[in-house]
Amino acid sequence: MHVDINSCFATVEQQANPLLRGKPVVVAAYVKDYGCILAASREAKKLGIKTGMRVKEGKMIAPRLVVLPPDPPKYRIVNRQLLGLLQSYTAHISVESIDEMVMNLKDTPALHHQSMEDIAREIKMRIRAEIGEWITVSCGIAPNRYLAKVASGLQKPDGLVTITRENIVDTFSRMTLTDFCGIKEGNSNRLKAAGILTPLAFYRASATDLKRAFRSVTGYHWWLRLHGYEDGSMYKEFEKDTGEDQKSFGQSYVLGTARTTHDPRLWQILAQLTMKMGRRLRADGFVAYGVGISTMFTDHTHWHTQEKKSFALFTDLDFYTAMRSMLMHAPEQPVKLLAVYCYALHRDTEMQVSLFPEENRGRDITRAIDAIQDRFGDFVIYPARMVNMEQKVLDRISFGGVQGLPDVSFTEQVKREMVT
Amino acid sequence: MSETINEPVSVTLWSNHKTRKVLPYGLYWHGRRYQITTIGLHHTVWEGKRLFHIFSVSDGSTFFKLVMNSETLAWTLLEVDTAN
Repeated sequence: MHVDINSCFATVEQQANPLLRGKPVVVAAYVKDYGCILAASREAKKLGIKTGMRVKEGKMIAPRLVVLPPDPPKYRIVNRQLLGLLQSYTAHISVESIDEMVMNLKDTPALHHQSMEDIAREIKMRIRAEIGEWITVSCGIAPNRYLAKVASGLQKPDGLVTITRENIVDTFSRMTLTDFCGIKEGNSNRLKAAGILTPLAFYRASATDLKRAFRSVTGYHWWLRLHGYEDGSMYKEFEKDTGEDQKSFGQSYVLGTARTTHDPRLWQILAQLTMKMGRRLRADGFVAYGVGISTMFTDHTHWHTQEKKSFALFTDLDFYTAMRSMLMHAPEQPVKLLAVYCYALHRDTEMQVSLFPEENRGRDITRAIDAIQDRFGDFVIYPARMVNMEQKVLDRISFGGVQGLPDVSFTEQVKREMVT
Repeated sequence: MSETINEPVSVTLWSNHKTRKVLPYGLYWHGRRYQITTIGLHHTVWEGKRLFHIFSVSDGSTFFKLVMNSETLAWTLLEVDTAN
């Protein structure tokens, strides 16, 4: 069963503030005209306001549109509450994103006295009673995760759709190709070029035809998905993530005011991003041997580089020094988006103790700074290079996951509210 | 229109040991008492080891965002929003 919170961020804001209910509300990355709309309430959607639009476009459609900045701790608490509620039915839950969860209800004791649809209806009722009366979810029930996701998208808001072997032809006959998650312009064109023009034709095509249409094994994966099998390529495992398969840590930031790569104010943002990334890496018990940095310039061109080191990177200074020297090789253009990441992770218990006391001292200082921040909050202590920062990196919810995200610090939130 | 306040306030609480719920029901601010009728959302944030409880509440015509510092038990009114 796929459970999807309708218009998640906007609905949670309306849940928190009852005065916003019934009004067109959007949550945008930035509340200014060029901020990108991340979520629109059902009232805003009815007026034609969509995710991805600019705030300015939204206000042209609805001049009284309420525009709010994201408040991640609210969304995380609803996510955690929903997870807790769903866990009372099964332990096999995959958290796909901040607003989407998939439950594997196979062999669950609840099915002995209830149907899947009964469970879905009960979940909806309990969400209203236990999490918030304004929060609604769309549930999709199907033999595999992909079809369950498709089903959850067919009826919004507050929908409940089941796809079975018996009704799949009827369901697909009412859809278009681009209604399928993962089929947008590119894939749709590939299918059309192969003579597959409708969802039914897509469903009835053989695995060989689909492999030919996609020109890869992807076609076979599509065949499996559409016929109710798990293809294993798109989703996380149901079993709890132990963190052992963590491949990288990263942070990114969209600058309110673009800065060139040689501007010390951009280096301050770099310092903050590397600190956030380093804290998460160390908290999870890793060191990194590789670092990467990428930028998007104001003309929408990209620059990216990465480097593998022969030694372990652990301290904030290690990361900052490595990344700043990499950034110096970037074209000197105004940067709109700055992203950093580290990879080639190893457990910190495997880290070699250095022969040079200065290096060990640096690691000890970093651990001490982390301990101070654990006790008193993020950024209560920071390097002098970050003094008088103009642009502060805000807490954000990443697309496609909620793991490894720290709770926003309260001081950070207050400062943000004072700015907005 | 939302307005940032960030001022200390007095709050009366309702507590139920059976449901293990503690909720604000009265707010005293600028010499006036506001009867809280709706708790929209209760969430928490950490600042280091300090836990803050944030209550998004309403008296029917005004929205209040209140925070309680669980270390000092002090309440602060963070934000006010009226229906206009």
